[in-house]
Amino acid sequence: MAIVLNELDTKFKYDVAAEPGGENIKLCFACGLCTASCPVSDIDPEYNPRRIIRMVLLGMRKEVLSSNLPWLCSQCYTCQAHCPQNVNFADVMKALRSMAVREGYVHPSFIEMIKEIDAFSQELRNRMVRAIVDKRSEEAKVDAARLAEEALKKEKAKV
Amino acid sequence: MAGEDRSVGAVMVVGGGIGGIQAALDLAESGYKIYLVEKSPAIGGVMAQLDKTFPTCDCSICILSPKLVECGRHPNIELLSYSELLGVEGKPGDFKATILKRARSVNESLCTGCGICQEKCPWSTNSEFDQGVGKRKAIYVPYAQAIPNIPVIDRELCTYFLKGTCRACEKFCPTGAIDFNQVDQKIEVSVGAVILSPGFDEFDPTPCFNYGYKKYPNVVTSIEFERMLSASGPYQGELLRPSDKKPPRRIAWIQCIGSRDSDHPYCSSVCCTYAIKEAIVAKEHVPSDLEETIFFMDMRTQGKDFDKFYQRAKREGIDFVRTKVYEVQEVDGTGNLLMKYLGEDDKPSTCEFDLVVLSVGLQPSPESVALAKKLGVQLDPYGFCYTQTFSPVETSRPGIFVCGAFQGPKDIPETVTQASGAAGSASALLAPARNTLTTKKEYPPEKDVTEEEPRVGVFICNCGINIGGVINVPEVAEYVKTLPNVAYAENNLYTCSQDTQERIKAIIQEHNLNRVVVAACSPRTHEPLFQKTIREAG
Repeated sequence: MAIVLNELDTKFKYDVAAEPGGENIKLCFACGLCTASCPVSDIDPEYNPRRIIRMVLLGMRKEVLSSNLPWLCSQCYTCQAHCPQNVNFADVMKALRSMAVREGYVHPSFIEMIKEIDAFSQELRNRMVRAIVDKRSEEAKVDAARLAEEALKKEKAKV
Repeated sequence: MAGEDRSVGAVMVVGGGIGGIQAALDLAESGYKIYLVEKSPAIGGVMAQLDKTFPTCDCSICILSPKLVECGRHPNIELLSYSELLGVEGKPGDFKATILKRARSVNESLCTGCGICQEKCPWSTNSEFDQGVGKRKAIYVPYAQAIPNIPVIDRELCTYFLKGTCRACEKFCPTGAIDFNQVDQKIEVSVGAVILSPGFDEFDPTPCFNYGYKKYPNVVTSIEFERMLSASGPYQGELLRPSDKKPPRRIAWIQCIGSRDSDHPYCSSVCCTYAIKEAIVAKEHVPSDLEETIFFMDMRTQGKDFDKFYQRAKREGIDFVRTKVYEVQEVDGTGNLLMKYLGEDDKPSTCEFDLVVLSVGLQPSPESVALAKKLGVQLDPYGFCYTQTFSPVETSRPGIFVCGAFQGPKDIPETVTQASGAAGSASALLAPARNTLTTKKEYPPEKDVTEEEPRVGVFICNCGINIGGVINVPEVAEYVKTLPNVAYAENNLYTCSQDTQERIKAIIQEHNLNRVVVAACSPRTHEPLFQKTIREAG
């Protein structure tokens, strides 16, 4: 990949640092622990967190945000647990995703798809939790829905 | 100046490592009485544990030992080993210091340091000095050249203290020096200034679970590796790995363990150079096909001639890989270790080694942090002693000075420099009281040896690989005996130890020697010591 100096956007790293999750990006001293620990890099060596951080610091806004790199992260947080500089790379990825969407680097159909997946996974989670709660309440002979409603009312009254 | 009205011409040095020893010697030579307080049973500190020093690969104990002996026999240095400083009251120039002298269970004035008690004691545990790689007894002297050469009884291990039986040491002690009834003593001394040189702790990498320390036997810390290399260490200087006691063929170092991470956001400043030193020295032990790799983040070989040392290591074929290793895993059944890291080609890589050394960083010990709090000495955010840029040996409390790694991670040369600096500052503060509490060393009258037939005594040192590894010393001693005018010849394991100094004096008298030749490692560091010894013999 050629890096053309006068095409770099030197503001990029400050924008990432201003985004929630991206605050510590400039602390990276490129030790490579993130990539060495990354399960995605194990499968696809093209996905390289250290290189992504360098690209951000160099100002390769278009290359980073238009690529599929931000979307490959599995959010397992292994890199974040081991980073000696607290760069919080998994959170940086979230920041990059938000920026990519906001700055129009992502096709609307992709956003639609993400929304659908998001809604579906919410629904899935909801059903799973409800199934567990229902089973437990049956065993314990309590009306979980009523208890939840009462608790909610109490909280609202406090506010 | 506070020191002008009623200064006390004595200084307390807290911590008997190389820094404390240097400060004590400088001040004692400048006309001050010194109390050297050391919490362990003997002075020497971490330098005594090291196999070699960088960047010259000199034998560490060989450089240190003359200073230990000097401290041990200096008329103006009072050694308070196995003791702790409890508190300091008063003002600069006039402090009262309280010291806890812990019960040694051995009468210091009766003990001759013969070592029979250690031989006979049936109870042993992991040696702190050998970093747990070797063993020590319940009654012990921490290491061969220890000053004072007087053992202590570890009351938490000794069966007499636990169950009321045994007393083997007492039975065999030829001078009746064992004293089970000794109790801890609190003593108070007046001093004009205090120098803190309590040193550091090595970072314990057990919590870094991804490196497998304590889980895999062949993952060791750098200080354990020093003991493994040392001639006086648990493997007698043969380089073996712990799991199967076989010589390793592939060794890796991982740098910045406990340095430059979120808990220790500072550089420990010595690890790069000590890893290079260990790699170079290991090559001397296993010369043929040893493969060595140092995994580092940045190579920080700051210090005089240290970069030259780095270049030398590269020339000698030591591999340097710029990366932080993510994980060490044992390869089933072999004891070998597989490292996972991001290679310099930017691709995830793995590599197998026989032995992995974790280059652990330096951190302040909890004891020194507690002491600083008791003394009202300010610490920096990491727990090292706070000092200002242009007064690097002054603590926040006037009259209390600091030197060595407690002020911030540093190597031996810098520690020695700073120790002399702290000694200078203390000396300036107490100038009016100089020479008020000191005594002069009395030597016996010199013997007139003119026109006597030469009677030569030869003492040949047989320590370490730098002498014993090259020369068959006992054979040399036998040959020397056949030379004209040689009245006496012998070889010693550590000619520079205080024991041997006493032995040389006794032999000079016994054989009426009028010439003495000491063949040892370096006249530059040792000549004054041996000259003093023969002067003491008359």
